[in-house]
Amino acid sequence: MRRSEIRKQLRIRARNIIVQRDRRFFVNIEKKDLKRAIRRLMQMKNYTHLSTITALDVGSMIEVIYHVAFTDALVSVKVQTSKDEPIIPSIVDLIPGVALYEREIHDLFGVEFEGNPDLSPLLLPDGWPEGVYPLRKWWSVDRVLSKLGGKR
Amino acid sequence: MTFEIPFGPQHPALEEPINFMFEIEEERVVNVKPRLGYVHRGIEKIAENRNYQQLVYLSERICGICSFAHALCYSQVVEELLDLKIPERAKFIRTIVAEMERIQNHYLWLGLTAKEMGFETLFMYAWRDRETIIEMLDMISGKRVNYGMSTIGGVRRDIPEPMIKRMEESLNHLEARAEYYTKVCTKDPSILKRTVGIGILRPREARALCAVGPTARASGIPRDVRADEPYAAYGEIPFKVVTYRGCDVASRMYVRIDEIKESIKIIRYALKNMPEGPIRVKAPMRVPEGEAISRVEAPRGENLHFLKSNGTDKPERWKIRAPTLANLLSLCRMLMGVNLADIPVVIAGIDPCIACAERIALIDAKTKKLKVWEGKDLWRYANEWYRKRYGL
Amino acid sequence: MAMEDDMFRNLKEKPVTIQFPYEHVEPVEGVRAKVSWDIDKCIGCRLCVTICPGNAIQLVGRGRQAEIKYNVGRCILCGECVDVCPTKAIYATKEFEIVFNNRRGMITHFRRKKRKRTS
Repeated sequence: MRRSEIRKQLRIRARNIIVQRDRRFFVNIEKKDLKRAIRRLMQMKNYTHLSTITALDVGSMIEVIYHVAFTDALVSVKVQTSKDEPIIPSIVDLIPGVALYEREIHDLFGVEFEGNPDLSPLLLPDGWPEGVYPLRKWWSVDRVLSKLGGKR
Repeated sequence: MTFEIPFGPQHPALEEPINFMFEIEEERVVNVKPRLGYVHRGIEKIAENRNYQQLVYLSERICGICSFAHALCYSQVVEELLDLKIPERAKFIRTIVAEMERIQNHYLWLGLTAKEMGFETLFMYAWRDRETIIEMLDMISGKRVNYGMSTIGGVRRDIPEPMIKRMEESLNHLEARAEYYTKVCTKDPSILKRTVGIGILRPREARALCAVGPTARASGIPRDVRADEPYAAYGEIPFKVVTYRGCDVASRMYVRIDEIKESIKIIRYALKNMPEGPIRVKAPMRVPEGEAISRVEAPRGENLHFLKSNGTDKPERWKIRAPTLANLLSLCRMLMGVNLADIPVVIAGIDPCIACAERIALIDAKTKKLKVWEGKDLWRYANEWYRKRYGL
Repeated sequence: MAMEDDMFRNLKEKPVTIQFPYEHVEPVEGVRAKVSWDIDKCIGCRLCVTICPGNAIQLVGRGRQAEIKYNVGRCILCGECVDVCPTKAIYATKEFEIVFNNRRGMITHFRRKKRKRTS
């Protein structure tokens, strides 16, 4: 797969596509274009599946990365959302297989996926305090433990 | 009348306990809801406080059975960030150990699935043969599980000439046994009754639900990271991706048995064509800033590690996606419409880390009366049901 | 039935399992097991402490007077410390049956011999 193919398919500027190495592409897009971008990537001929969704804490924003796998490449679509209002459109209607990944990120980062019918806790135990998102940087191990009332 | 049956979450012996909430209508499953997190160890959080060298061993302990696949995936992702070229011999040794682990895992799976079917003889025999491959791994690495072979910049132990001779003898034995199991699994009527046409996952569903590994390959989808994106020495070794079109538990069994044979061929080729040279290059403690992704075909499917570094000796974010999570939704799809008696076999079919059920409770939806079943009771119920119906 | 040939053959054979407390398997060459210190060679460089994934090694004191506290309960038997030691003060043993009755027994303190200082 080449950069120009992705550019043509997604109709975005070339500077938003970073070629890290052979077979590795990072695509930066806006939140509102996410669904369209994923749908268009799915129409490409070597598309196989969506590997996983990664979320990471980058200061005031939360970055969500969709790893779309092709037989000859891995395209990582990056979307950013603010921490105060972490809402991202869900793609569960396009790819049903992402339901668990979205639930996992909802648990650990508190990102709301708009349109996902079931965002009940998947990984965290019942009775987990509201508003504690263990993988956000602010929630250090000690902070989480003091909130849970346990000792190290 | 609809029953709700919580299934799990205590499955000792095997890691990753899980809870399924089944809705049952006249012994047929109509709805499944999974619930994870009983062994959520917070590895991704712990990783933020450890240095890269220590994390090799943490990555190995993500899964007890596919430990090398995780360590290899992690080593590769750090090597990519460091821009490290690892020696050719190390690549071949990595391939050999990864394939040996695949053989070990598939024999383990064959035994466990046989046990779920109540075929304990096959369980004992498969595990006896698994001992051969574990002894080989013990000889190479010094450990039976969690081998500690892969490290950042290569492998930690070489495979010298006398070992290769002993390995070839063991491989001959294992190949003969794999042939024998093919014969058993295609002929034995009790295995065929319990597996053929059970736990169907159509190719279209497998694609939509992003199934990986043998689960996808048994639905006729040739999805294999080794072929799509060759890592280690897979680019230089000819092998074929095993697919079956049956879409049921039997196909998953044949895929795995054929993969054992294919892995033996890969190991033989790699041992013969292994180049001479060093096995390890030195890696610095600090990793420059950047992001990298590495994919590895673990015995159970595709592993994905994403790593973001911040220039220190500790990672900023390390994301792990193990194959069981990817196959869980496919499993829920397979369980729809199966008989209560077939649940253990279908769950074992995707090779989760949760093959044995410990405890099961039956709740009557109308009276809310709770009946608690031990895992053994379900197992006994399943075998009794088949005995009555088919006289097995 | 497709396994009867194998089953009948195995009737004549002995059990393959080993009666563990009475029978022992010799550990293979290069088995990863407990490690031990030759404390006189130790220079207190802390390399083993930094690399240990399970934080099993603790350094008491500084420099050439440093002594080692080694906790087998935390050790994951990876052998990284043996590889990293610059003076080969750490060596691997073949002791793999590591069972203790109490936690204190897991910790081994490697002490230096008291030496008279020559002026």
